[in-house]
Amino acid sequence: MKGLILGSRYRLLVVTLIIYMGFLVAEGMIIGREARAKKCVGFCFEFDSADLEEIWKRRNGNENIGVELESMGDV
Amino acid sequence: MDKFAVLQFYGLLKREVLEHQNLFIGAPAVVASLLLVACTWVATQVDQSQLAELLRYVPVMSDGLSIFELAPFFMLLAIPFILTLYICSVIYLTNTLYQDRKEMSVLFWQSMPVSNLKTVLSKVFVIVFVVPGFYVLIIFATYLITMAWLTILGINNDVDLVGIGYMFLAAIASLVLIYISIIVTSLWLLPSIGWLLLFSAFAKKTPLLWAGGVLILVGFLEDFIFGTQFLANWIASRTSDPRQYLIFDFQSVFERVFNYDTLFGVVVGGILITGAVFMRRFTD
Repeated sequence: MKGLILGSRYRLLVVTLIIYMGFLVAEGMIIGREARAKKCVGFCFEFDSADLEEIWKRRNGNENIGVELESMGDV
Repeated sequence: MDKFAVLQFYGLLKREVLEHQNLFIGAPAVVASLLLVACTWVATQVDQSQLAELLRYVPVMSDGLSIFELAPFFMLLAIPFILTLYICSVIYLTNTLYQDRKEMSVLFWQSMPVSNLKTVLSKVFVIVFVVPGFYVLIIFATYLITMAWLTILGINNDVDLVGIGYMFLAAIASLVLIYISIIVTSLWLLPSIGWLLLFSAFAKKTPLLWAGGVLILVGFLEDFIFGTQFLANWIASRTSDPRQYLIFDFQSVFERVFNYDTLFGVVVGGILITGAVFMRRFTD
């Protein structure tokens, strides 16, 4: 096992990243981590990351509608 | 603790400082010089008597405020230094282990009675505790020169110097806050330190590109494979609000260091730093 992981730099990198991501995803799922909304107002623009969330939800909603329509078949 | 181990670690720290003097001492010294030159230029544009009049209002501005209440205002003056520190830290962390392999000095250090763990830990220790010390010392020198100049100006124009002395004490208190803030920020950003060190030990060329590229790739892969964005959410939640790690009063230090988010970041950073320690065995 040790030889398998430490055999090459690429394997070690992949194993480290898997442990890192596994840890982050597990923790994120347990505590239900969500990005904190970030609002930035400039003199000629306004950015609110909550808007992106809305777009994301809308996109997912549209996909679900697409699935529902497909499941209905030809009308 | 073993005296030899302490001396060995001190030797490793000294080596890091000597090899990266430009980033640790040269860069903040240049920033300080530029600021002093800019201040001198501004002072030459304004009439001396007007400056002296401004000095008379200094005690009025600080009236009723304690030294520790005034200190956060002086932290604003350190912003150029803190930005320089961040840039120099990224340059140092991406190059330090990569440079060792590139110039083959890694072989020399591995022939010495120094483990890879100690070498990598010395680099983390330098960036978290030692480098902020150099920056704070240079900020202190800048304050000292400015105060000396203001004192001469005050004496020449018969201005009461009590207000300036009080401001100087507040500036000294701000230096302690700046030092603690930088250390807390480093602990908060330990995953980033670990990430850069991992790719510094891994990449055969362009470690910064690897570090940035793989971060984006892993984020996309998480989205495609699991349909989640925990990595992106985690990065966003750690970088969006500087109030999470900046210290403006001494009471909040314990609360900022010993909270779930900071300690979780230290654990995640530990995983990546461990990866960098093992990665250092590949010397080609």
